Amino acid sequence: MPDPAQHDPTCHNPTGSSTPRATSSGAGRVLVAVYGIFALSATARAGVQIATRFAEAPVPYLLSALAGVVYILATIGLSGHRPWARPLAWAAVVFELVGVLTVGTFTVLDSGDFPDDTVWSVFGRGYGFVPLVLPLVGLWWLRHTRPR
Amino acid sequence: MIGVLVLIVYVATAALAGLGVALTAANRPPGRELKIAVGIVAGLLAIQAVIAAVRVFGGTELPETSTFLIYLGVSVCVLPVAYQWATAERTRWGGAVVAVAAIGTAVAVWRLQMLWAAGSA
Repeated sequence: MPDPAQHDPTCHNPTGSSTPRATSSGAGRVLVAVYGIFALSATARAGVQIATRFAEAPVPYLLSALAGVVYILATIGLSGHRPWARPLAWAAVVFELVGVLTVGTFTVLDSGDFPDDTVWSVFGRGYGFVPLVLPLVGLWWLRHTRPR
Repeated sequence: MIGVLVLIVYVATAALAGLGVALTAANRPPGRELKIAVGIVAGLLAIQAVIAAVRVFGGTELPETSTFLIYLGVSVCVLPVAYQWATAERTRWGGAVVAVAAIGTAVAVWRLQMLWAAGSA
């Protein structure tokens, strides 16, 4: 059975072939849900870490908080319809990819220095490597729904 | 926590995730069956959260009480919010959204269980 929403995320705006297509429509809703859950869990985790034992490992805890903020911004960008939503989503998802690759590489090379405590440690191993796959899917989706 | 109830919650979240994926695969928008399933799982989670919270505030010692309570809140809130998001646009993808939320909830419950076990050990 054909699914109009899958192939035409502009269903809210059928005439606007030149306007951006909604990133939060169709399959994009699943992506936003995943981002939302990561935003919630990363931010909550960082909040507890910073509130209860910040002095133990300030760098990983600040990185956790940064990751949380990036996920929040990506969620807002991907779910929004305003003109700034798409650039925000691009920036957040690119930052997320750079972050997970940088922190992932660093933690693989030098795990002793870096407690396994951020979302991005060892390319997101503690989260089933979803943090590594998510920005790739995000970038693909942003490209897939780009204005044409 | 309560051994049997945690087990039931795992089974229920897994079944809900399965239902969500099945709806998406069958190209069906969220309907009555998903609403009922989400209601049942959310109810189980609420019962679990109330019992756990009563025990924590009743004096059960945990190594990380604040973390435990935050996860407890997360375990209750994720599904209702996700269900709103899943049904606001009625496409086949609503089921997948609920499935993602069900898996996330199960992970939160697993974390809760580990924190609880660390306290009672």
